[in-house]
Amino acid sequence: MAEHTKIIAVTRFDPERDDAPRSQEYEVPVQEDWKVLEALNYIKDHLDPTLSHRWSCRMAVCGSCGMNVNGEPKLTCREPLSNYGERVEVAPLANFPVVRDLVVELEGFLEKLGALKPWIMLAKQRAPEEGATRQSPAELADFKQFSMCINCMLCYAACPVVANEPDFLGPAALATAHRYNLDSRDEGAAQRAEIMRGEGGVFSCSYANECAEVCPKNVDPAGAIQQAKLANVLSWARSFVVRRRAAS
Amino acid sequence: MRGLLLRLEPLIWGLFGGGMFVGALLLPAWCLVAGVLLPLGLLPAAEFPILWEHLYYQLSQPLGRAVAWSAVALPLWAGAHQARHLVTDFGGLRWDGLVGGLCYAAAALGSLLAAFAVLAL
Repeated sequence: MAEHTKIIAVTRFDPERDDAPRSQEYEVPVQEDWKVLEALNYIKDHLDPTLSHRWSCRMAVCGSCGMNVNGEPKLTCREPLSNYGERVEVAPLANFPVVRDLVVELEGFLEKLGALKPWIMLAKQRAPEEGATRQSPAELADFKQFSMCINCMLCYAACPVVANEPDFLGPAALATAHRYNLDSRDEGAAQRAEIMRGEGGVFSCSYANECAEVCPKNVDPAGAIQQAKLANVLSWARSFVVRRRAAS
Repeated sequence: MRGLLLRLEPLIWGLFGGGMFVGALLLPAWCLVAGVLLPLGLLPAAEFPILWEHLYYQLSQPLGRAVAWSAVALPLWAGAHQARHLVTDFGGLRWDGLVGGLCYAAAALGSLLAAFAVLAL
């Protein structure tokens, strides 16, 4: 296969040694069909074993290899190097603390996601003898798109609200919470409502739509958040009617 | 103030959503047809008859007044909400309570004046 070289400029940062991130250039012999991740793996294996980057499945399923490529959040395992010129800049995802080089800290996201209880909640536990909970294809279609999230964090790196408001729960977490609210098997929407409409919840989103633009799985987190806003408005209005009826 | 805004977010967003629907979709279409295309003869008046007298009559009815009020007041809330978010985009949340309070107070005042205006129709 034809081979030529490209300059891969990688952002390096070791918090124990460096005061600030710096760019380091590597001349990499690349093949035509290489993805950005393959160039990084080449650097790690052949040029500089001290480079730190995160990856796993190499087929856009695990969501580990999200990085900023020429300033845009991309899944590096599916981003062709041929999309770029002779010099390609690779940096860690924006809006996250950097652990080292291209590896970012995801603890904050995992805390936000956990707070939204992203699992099926039932008002009353079902016994095994009651059998499986059935769901029609139409009910599945209500939320399937929002269930395709792989937590790659590209949406957080692209979101201007995440950049401005550290407490914003963010596109992936809110879309996942909405996915469970839409699931016909779930009865936990009321338990998620307070956090979803509270500080950093759905109403912090200003619908820049950048999350939907960069999402590699076409989840459309912005659409999910708009739907969640409307659902919150309706349930908020309904709570007044119910309260008034209960009082009378 | 920020705590109050947080509690009222569903109401504020509902008004904002209504304002975007009216101000970004309905009003521009109405202004384009009734204010530009018909007067300039770019649309055949016979196929788009606007019965102005009928319209004036409807505006004196309760539903017509509500529609006229919505056409003025809801876009004010949409504008206020966007102005608040614009400030947040540039300056973070530090002044959000104050800015949001001022923006929505202006929208509320405008809505009140619009109510007086449509009642006088």
